[in-house]
Amino acid sequence: MSNDAKAIQAIRLSKRYGQLLAVDDVSFEVQAGEVFGFLGPNGAGKTTTVRMLTTLLEPTGGSAIIAGYDTQRQAYQARRRMSLVPEESNIYTELTAWDNLIFSARLYRVPAPTREQRAAALLQTFDLYEKRHIKAQLFSKGMRRRLAIAMALIHEPAVLFLDEPTSGLDVQSAQTIKQVVRRLNANGTTVFLTTHQIEEANQLCDRVAIINRGKVVALDSPERLKQALESVQAVEVAFAEATPGEEAELRRLPGVTEVVKRGDKWRLYTASPPALLPALFSRAQRQSIPIISLNTLGPSLEDVFLHLTGQKVGSAPDGGEGELTGQRRPGGRGREAGPGREGGRRRE
Amino acid sequence: MKRVQAVKEVGDVNEVGAMVENQVPPLARDEDEGPLERVWAEMGQAWAIAVKDVRVYYLTPPMVMFGLLMPFFMFFSFSVGRSLGPETSVARLLALTTFFTASSAGPVIIPMERRVRTFDRLLVAPVSLATVLLGESLVGTFFALVVTMLPLLAGIVVFHTTILDPLLLAIALVAGSLSFSVLGILFASWPAESPGAIMMPSTLVRWPLLFVSGIFIPLSEMAPWSRAVSYLSPLTYSQDLLNQAVLGAGVQSPALDLLALLASLIVFLVLALKLHGVSRRRGY
Repeated sequence: MSNDAKAIQAIRLSKRYGQLLAVDDVSFEVQAGEVFGFLGPNGAGKTTTVRMLTTLLEPTGGSAIIAGYDTQRQAYQARRRMSLVPEESNIYTELTAWDNLIFSARLYRVPAPTREQRAAALLQTFDLYEKRHIKAQLFSKGMRRRLAIAMALIHEPAVLFLDEPTSGLDVQSAQTIKQVVRRLNANGTTVFLTTHQIEEANQLCDRVAIINRGKVVALDSPERLKQALESVQAVEVAFAEATPGEEAELRRLPGVTEVVKRGDKWRLYTASPPALLPALFSRAQRQSIPIISLNTLGPSLEDVFLHLTGQKVGSAPDGGEGELTGQRRPGGRGREAGPGREGGRRRE
Repeated sequence: MKRVQAVKEVGDVNEVGAMVENQVPPLARDEDEGPLERVWAEMGQAWAIAVKDVRVYYLTPPMVMFGLLMPFFMFFSFSVGRSLGPETSVARLLALTTFFTASSAGPVIIPMERRVRTFDRLLVAPVSLATVLLGESLVGTFFALVVTMLPLLAGIVVFHTTILDPLLLAIALVAGSLSFSVLGILFASWPAESPGAIMMPSTLVRWPLLFVSGIFIPLSEMAPWSRAVSYLSPLTYSQDLLNQAVLGAGVQSPALDLLALLASLIVFLVLALKLHGVSRRRGY
């Protein structure tokens, strides 16, 4: 690597399709050994950016440097040092897991003496070794994704691009992949992760960039981004029974800016939870409806995302285009999995 | 510091990185290799792509339909009822099969690879676009050579056809298959994700070539203007070369035919590279 400190540099990258400016003057740097999250709603320009970074797409303007090599002028050198695992596991389903690995090793010029050794070790790592002689068309989605990642690691890339790595996977496969990402990163691999899953980025990433309408609108560590939005906090409360006109009543409580129903709970957004709590208790007492649970919640990365992408903080993303799954940062008492749905387009 | 913490955090994970670190010697990078090593390596990659394609796509329905059955159906539909000698039939069927089979591989394989994103896998690998296209071309060449063995063996065994110049026949089949296979790659530069979307427009080019290339109407019987047009078709040179090898009755020198096939191969490859490059720029 020519410049050890920087694994990825995007320098004023832009991509125009006719009248549509898909990526607009995007610049960022990813340090070697970092897990970097790239978040954005559908159509924001995530995949276009990744395709430019991985030499699949020629930028209209700007440049990208991978491990010190310009992706346009030194594409060959850059490609030797990176790997891409797209959202759709692009394995050869007519080949066995073993043959997929060996083909990948040949394509990446892994020397013959170590080819089989590496293939076997990776298949064991991803718990596919016992099924190595089975055609990949019989694999589940999770197994295919694991195989695709194993293929991407066959040449020990310095930079690994993962596009929605856990999208649509069962919990176990998703967990395995997250552990692999952590372990790879612990061993010095730079991981560039695009995801809709805010909590995944929160758990895995050293820094995240949020892209919206082709522009990077925020870039920082997840915690710093949340701190920047401290004004958005919430109290989540569940009452023993529902009453008519409950929502309107809750909206009238002092300091409440937004009320969202989540299952059997109400989430009340406010700038000051301590100021809201007495009013809540007083209402419960007045109506003789006990409070079953009560949590104060800080802003989540999801809130930051919604705020920066121009969506209303506090509005549930489960019906919107955000296609997120998130988890709020609890105020010291428990956590809660936010609603959302997975999805994604192959190309943006 | 960060790394130590990370290792501590994921201590219970399978030996992911440790495996990669401990058991495998570091890989040579391109700073260690010279230009000749690079060329050799690219040839190896082209071969790997070709072998993979053979294993993945040879028995897929579009390949069997467009590459295997179609040339035979076409030959029989145009030749039944005409009094052709066995040698003439074999020479024509060989040309037809080489042309259709070799030029079908690219339009079948590349869109299928685009659809499941495995073509991206090739494009993001450390291999030049020319090598990727060469690898894909080799598949069509192999396929055509294997399929042409059927009429050739049938001609020799069943109809006792005599091949006057077997060496020239082998050269003609390889040269024709290569050139037509690259023509197929050129068709496949159209950014479609289904074989049918490329096959249909490519048929508009391939079928007219049959009628101006001396397959159904020999060059010697053509009008001067259509004969002039026929020289623009690489199939003319392939048919002439095969006529020379099987019948000893070529219209022009075999060297000229070979040179023309080689030139067409280069032209098709350059055009294919340019058009695939356009697709990359436009993001197809």
